Amino acid sequence: MAAAGAPLIELREVTKRFASFLAVDKLSFSVGEGEIVALLGRTGAGKSTVLNLVMGSIAPDSGSISVAGCDPSRQFKQLRGRIAVSFQTDRLLPWRTAVENAELGLLILNVPKDEARRRALAWLDRVKLRGAEHKYVHELSGGMRQRVSLARALAVDPSIIFLDESFSQLDHATARALRTDFKRIAAEFGKTCLFVTHRIEDAIEIADRALILTQGARIALVEHVTAATRADPAATAAMHERIAQVLGHEDADTLADAAE
Amino acid sequence: MTDDKAATLALPAPAALRPSALPKRGKFKMGQADALSTAAVVIVLLGAMQIASNFVPDYIMPPPATVLRATWDIVTADELHVLITLVRLFASVAFSMLLGIVIGGAMGMFGTIRPALRAVIVIDTGIPALSWMLLAVFWFRDPETRIFFILTVILVPFFALSIYDGIRALPRDLVDVVESFRPSRWQVLRFLVIPHVVPYVFLTMKSVIGYAIRMVVFAELVASASGIGSRMSLAQSTFRIDQVFAWTFLLVLLNIGLQTGVSMCERIALKWRPEVEVR
Repeated sequence: MAAAGAPLIELREVTKRFASFLAVDKLSFSVGEGEIVALLGRTGAGKSTVLNLVMGSIAPDSGSISVAGCDPSRQFKQLRGRIAVSFQTDRLLPWRTAVENAELGLLILNVPKDEARRRALAWLDRVKLRGAEHKYVHELSGGMRQRVSLARALAVDPSIIFLDESFSQLDHATARALRTDFKRIAAEFGKTCLFVTHRIEDAIEIADRALILTQGARIALVEHVTAATRADPAATAAMHERIAQVLGHEDADTLADAAE
Repeated sequence: MTDDKAATLALPAPAALRPSALPKRGKFKMGQADALSTAAVVIVLLGAMQIASNFVPDYIMPPPATVLRATWDIVTADELHVLITLVRLFASVAFSMLLGIVIGGAMGMFGTIRPALRAVIVIDTGIPALSWMLLAVFWFRDPETRIFFILTVILVPFFALSIYDGIRALPRDLVDVVESFRPSRWQVLRFLVIPHVVPYVFLTMKSVIGYAIRMVVFAELVASASGIGSRMSLAQSTFRIDQVFAWTFLLVLLNIGLQTGVSMCERIALKWRPEVEVR
């Protein structure tokens, strides 16, 4: 599958089974430098397994994976500082304030404390959290927490960011605002991003390319999204419909998203 | 309005949702309520002592005034023994806490040595405190060593098991997020494990303080000629029941004071944790 720049993430014929369950079946795709690719699929399609494979949390049964030139499961430590993840839930450490959470990755990368604090504050500012830097997690709203989570991922200045359903727990207005901010930041800093989602609107609004997966993480459809597509409501609606048709589900959540 | 809607609107709210069905919040905050309850219990006990002392001889139940006089005598004349007991208590509880954290941490983080350490701790919890006291008298000549040893072997398992449980209760989500940055083992400990187990340390500390006070007094009674335990033994052998009550009264005050101190430290250390009151 073609990618924008030189591929930073590349999967070739990757297969992963859990006992007799075939989670990923000979999946191949690549993500070019600076590209944002969405993996869209229903629950159980294998999206999270793909993400775990590229993050190196699990190893494939067959096939090869390359992330920034490394095998993520075998060269786990070599990707230190080069990748970052933003999860479905904020996963903030409750004993740390917003800024302390944002600087966590930097401290793990042994960035001096003052420098880490300066960079964390700058990122909190970019995700529009000025004034909430010293609040504890329980004092932040769901949207604010997800923004801190995003700042934590971006603060380490990774070349690759993985988003795991990062906007799906938020209400539609907050999710939309956060998607817009992420898109702006990713473009400004040239981040390569692979994100999994089950929400069609997430994919259309952020991704340059959406891979629609069916059972076994088989790619059933590839949609290229451009600024022109996003600007044209009719084109967006048509793309929405094509994706929904491939997914073919009556999932109330997704239908509700589609209706918006 | 349709009939269905009208019917729905006419229905009363479920009993559980009506404000009157909810228990009313008290006038006082949790800390104030605790202090008031403690004061009330003390007043009731003093009243009961006063009534009982009218019916039995002084050597069985002295009146509160006599006990208060004895307490004053102790505070002004025997303060060195109180200090000795406090130093023993602090030293042994602090050391037990540190050793317990190290053992519990090792149990939680190193799978290879976990079974052996767990076996040692479980066997230790099965040995009665009295056995340790008697063994300490045989094994050590120095009273300070005896008391330190007794308290350590009794208290360490509480901390070790609590810390081990704390590590086992680490949310997988938080482990994943820290590991996504590819940390060293020390960084996992520093950024994740240690902050996560701090509440467990405080919980254990609050649970063992009263027990530790009882044990140090008991150990002093068996293994030392100084400290509150030995003075209580002296009071008992000279039929000074007013002093026995006075020492007991001081020990209760000591316990309340230490519990309050630990709770204050806990509030400062765990300011990130919201106080939740269940209605």
